[in-house]
Amino acid sequence: MANQGGAQRPNGPQSKICQFKLVLLGESAVGKSSLVLRFVKGQFHEYQESTIGAAFLTQTVCLDDTTVKFEIWDTAGQERYHSLAPMYYRGAQAAIVVYDITNQDTFGRAKTWVRELQRQASPNIVIALAGNKADLANKRMVEYEEAQAYAEENSLLFMETSAKTAMNVNDIFLAIAKKLPKNEQAGQQQSRQRGVDLSQENQPSGGCCK
Amino acid sequence: MASIGDAELGVSTFCAASHQSEKCGANGLPLTPNSIRILGRFPVLKTLSHPRLCKYVDLVREKHERLIVVTEFYKTNLAAALRTSKYSDTSCLTTLAFEILSGLAYLNSRGFIHRNLSPQNILFDTKGFVKLANYGMYYMTDSGADVSFPIGLLKYMSPEVLAQGRVRVTSIDREYATGWKETRQLSHAPSSCKTDVWSLGIMLLEAFLGSPLWPNLTLQQIIHKILAFAKSKVDPIVLILSDHHGEEKFALLPNEIQSLISTCLTLSPKQRPMPIDLLSSSVFNALKSKEIPYSNGFSMFSTNLRCQDLEIPEYVEGTEEDHAKEEDLLSERSIHEVYYLWRLAGGDLVGALTKAGLVRTRPPITKIANFTLDDGEFFGEGRDRSTLLDCTVVILSQDQLRQRLKHVEPAAFYPLLEEEKNTALHLPISPSSGDLTDTSKLPLVIKERDVEYQFHRAILYERLLKAYPYKRHHIWKEARTDIPPFVRAEIWAALLEVEGDIQGTYDAIDKETPTATDRQIEVDIPRCHQYCELLSSPEGHEKFKRVLKAWVVSHPEYVYWQGLDSLCAPFLYLNFNNEALAYACFKAFIPKYLHKLFLKDNSKVIQEYLAVFSHLIAFHDAPLSNHLNTIGFIPDLYAIPWFLTMFAHAFPLHKLFHLWDTLLLGNSSFPLCIGVAILYQLRDQLLSFGFNECILLFSDMPEIDIERCVQDSIRIFCLTPKSATYRQHAKPSKREQKDSSSKPDVSYYSKDYNHQPLTDLSMHPVPLEDLRAQKCPFISAEDLIQLGELMGSSLTKSPTKKSASGKPLIIILDIRPTEDYLRGCVPGSINIPFDTAFNSDGDFLPSPAVTKLNVHKTQVKVVVGSRDRSAIKFAESLLRLGYNRACVLYKGVDVLRPTGILTVPTPDL
Repeated sequence: MANQGGAQRPNGPQSKICQFKLVLLGESAVGKSSLVLRFVKGQFHEYQESTIGAAFLTQTVCLDDTTVKFEIWDTAGQERYHSLAPMYYRGAQAAIVVYDITNQDTFGRAKTWVRELQRQASPNIVIALAGNKADLANKRMVEYEEAQAYAEENSLLFMETSAKTAMNVNDIFLAIAKKLPKNEQAGQQQSRQRGVDLSQENQPSGGCCK
Repeated sequence: MASIGDAELGVSTFCAASHQSEKCGANGLPLTPNSIRILGRFPVLKTLSHPRLCKYVDLVREKHERLIVVTEFYKTNLAAALRTSKYSDTSCLTTLAFEILSGLAYLNSRGFIHRNLSPQNILFDTKGFVKLANYGMYYMTDSGADVSFPIGLLKYMSPEVLAQGRVRVTSIDREYATGWKETRQLSHAPSSCKTDVWSLGIMLLEAFLGSPLWPNLTLQQIIHKILAFAKSKVDPIVLILSDHHGEEKFALLPNEIQSLISTCLTLSPKQRPMPIDLLSSSVFNALKSKEIPYSNGFSMFSTNLRCQDLEIPEYVEGTEEDHAKEEDLLSERSIHEVYYLWRLAGGDLVGALTKAGLVRTRPPITKIANFTLDDGEFFGEGRDRSTLLDCTVVILSQDQLRQRLKHVEPAAFYPLLEEEKNTALHLPISPSSGDLTDTSKLPLVIKERDVEYQFHRAILYERLLKAYPYKRHHIWKEARTDIPPFVRAEIWAALLEVEGDIQGTYDAIDKETPTATDRQIEVDIPRCHQYCELLSSPEGHEKFKRVLKAWVVSHPEYVYWQGLDSLCAPFLYLNFNNEALAYACFKAFIPKYLHKLFLKDNSKVIQEYLAVFSHLIAFHDAPLSNHLNTIGFIPDLYAIPWFLTMFAHAFPLHKLFHLWDTLLLGNSSFPLCIGVAILYQLRDQLLSFGFNECILLFSDMPEIDIERCVQDSIRIFCLTPKSATYRQHAKPSKREQKDSSSKPDVSYYSKDYNHQPLTDLSMHPVPLEDLRAQKCPFISAEDLIQLGELMGSSLTKSPTKKSASGKPLIIILDIRPTEDYLRGCVPGSINIPFDTAFNSDGDFLPSPAVTKLNVHKTQVKVVVGSRDRSAIKFAESLLRLGYNRACVLYKGVDVLRPTGILTVPTPDL
């Protein structure tokens, strides 16, 4: 079942808890907020409102003996909000770069995000590529093989997802959870450094929060 | 707007064709229900106004794709009248033709056709004039594509319409820059205005002959008849007359009228004349000369001279009967206003229809299918006959409304707008519900449902609006009480000082040429306030796009940021029929509250805004501010969408209207106070929450009591020294101070700090880093002087209210070393030297000065220091210790030296 690791609460006293910061990036209207909403609340809104700035949600998944808590930063897709993006992906251990399989341009934009993450984000960041709106496969403009090849080249996790039908939504988050290092240190370190530190001066690019 | 007169309000209903369940469009979204499409097309029909037309008043969407139409209505129609032999009289027949044609020609001039002409849809008002009804069906149903019944009675349809058969929709998936979308195409081109002329011909013939044509033929036979005209070489009129043995009677008609009817029945639509052509016929010369040119009353933002055609009617000494008529003052109101009041008075559309048997509900169990497949397809479900078309119009009784307004004094219909009285309000006393000033203090939700209160408010505002901009002052004053929903669109425009040729301005903007922002606008619109039926309709999307594009194109210094769509939504919703006004309001709103926030690089502006917001939180709620800072829940994480959209992204429209009713009276700093008020309302939760819970709380805006929020923000605003919200990126002052006489000063929160003349004692730009680093706001020297009444109680720029005792509400803390203090200080200030103020734990060391501070704990605390940062640090210690309302004198004590205020303190301190 797709949602075996979905919204489960930590169980068992022996389980270890890790907290990770995950950021969603991608062109507007590709379905970033919808993916998060499906993953966190199991809902789907046809007319999901556009995100301004960023939105934040959390969700916990259980993985064997570990409880992984995701702090999810869902960013605004519009190019203009780009200047805010570094403050959201800074310090993130994982990122999902989303594109819309019915729109080639959004795939191009996704590649740009991947490049930016590889250059500017934490070196160990786990990046997943999500081809969303897989329910609209008859309108497909981005071939599965093309995206998969690109993902392999750049060692990204890759899945085609559908926030609407819930296909692969929990799976992609689980796959990320599996790939993240779950030593005690990672989780500990993160729980202390929560949120975004806007006063941090050494920013990668000319962000707006200097 | 023309008055309702003796018209009735009629209600009828029909069902839109429903889509197959669960079907999705090409973009994966559900198909727009046909009822929503119709709903979006409907509003423009309300703007059609002509003496020969029944006005459209409202369209309401109900469950199961049912739509309810409210229109102007009269009981008599041509179907009944033509059976009398009245129309064998030439002049009656000519008048009938002329009046119908006038109505049709007006429709054509506005780009509409009737396409639904039949004797049932030709009504007569009480004076016997023609009123065309149901002319909107064809337009609002997209040539009939959105309904499953044909528009029009087959007998009156022209051959070319019948030949085309039923209109069908084909949808094509097309790829756009924004992704896949479904495009509709109709199976045939829409009818032209000439089809109406054919229908007119048939009706005139029926009227003349005094009986319906082909009374004994079945529908099928009639269709055969009409289609047979096309094959025949003989003129249709000849065939029809011979069918009815009417040749001899017809030959008696004057030639001109004979030819009028026969040209109407020209087979080829190409050769058939248009209504406007027929009107120029000499038959109508006598009638045309008698016609009074029609003007649709008053429009608020018109460039036409209002009184150009004003003629004072002659005063005729009325008979008793006339007087009795004049007493019906409600009939002088517009039909839209009467309908608005009718609903408030408990009018129930569905109830009226149910009572008349037009809406029937069946128990759900009777709707269960006999056989269902795995995939949800079902069979054996009886056809629901209640969704079939029934053209019956039910008259809405106005008794209840009249009963409710029975006690209203006739004078209340024409309130006098004399020079302002000293009283804040002068609402009339009403015998039924007591003094309306009492009502005005009730919660908004109650006021908005009080028919009598709304009646008075709407009438008062309507008169004020007629005197706009001259009465702007008065409008501002009244708006502080409330804004009735009925006139909100215009009042907002007035508050935003919209003036001039708005239509011309809007028309001159190129809203069609593709631009780089189109994709973004197109993906944002279908996600913006889509719970709202109007804004989710295709028509709404088109308007949305045009208004946004118009703004982007006309403001090259700014760019489209996501959020502008939300900001535009309330204006578009209120002015759905007037894009130009929607645009004008939108355009006026942005510089007032969002100056520079849509710059391509707005980061400095936003950062300053948020820094000032943090200061304000600290100023008003130290414990909350401390908590939020400790957990790292800073405004940057949640408040950007608030301020960038002035809360339009955070609240649904009905709440936003109430919020903006007050926001529009405030200055550019007022939104900051709304932000604080929201936090204040969620205070208990926020204080108990950690970072994650806090941010989750705002990821879905929690339920906020808007009225409380509005009251809180006003209170917060009044308790904030104006200079504390100083922003260097706020809109700079209008130096010229144009027409200060007409610009009202009624609202103490309407004046902007930035619009005051700058002096050495004013605020000056503070570097952003400093602003972000400090936690407490600055206060300018001039504010200090005024609030502390250091130069006598001169007119204060700051809105901070005086305490009841008349004593200043501030306490001045001088933190310089005592020897400096003794050399000269602000009179009445307390000396708490910074170096000796705190113990090692950061708490105050006890001293008489600290005791005095604690006595005045609720007052605004102005920390006065030297030029160094110690004053800021001191204020932050106050904040840390939980003292509210701490601020720092900008530039320190030195700034006061030239004023001569500083004195040597009296020894007792």
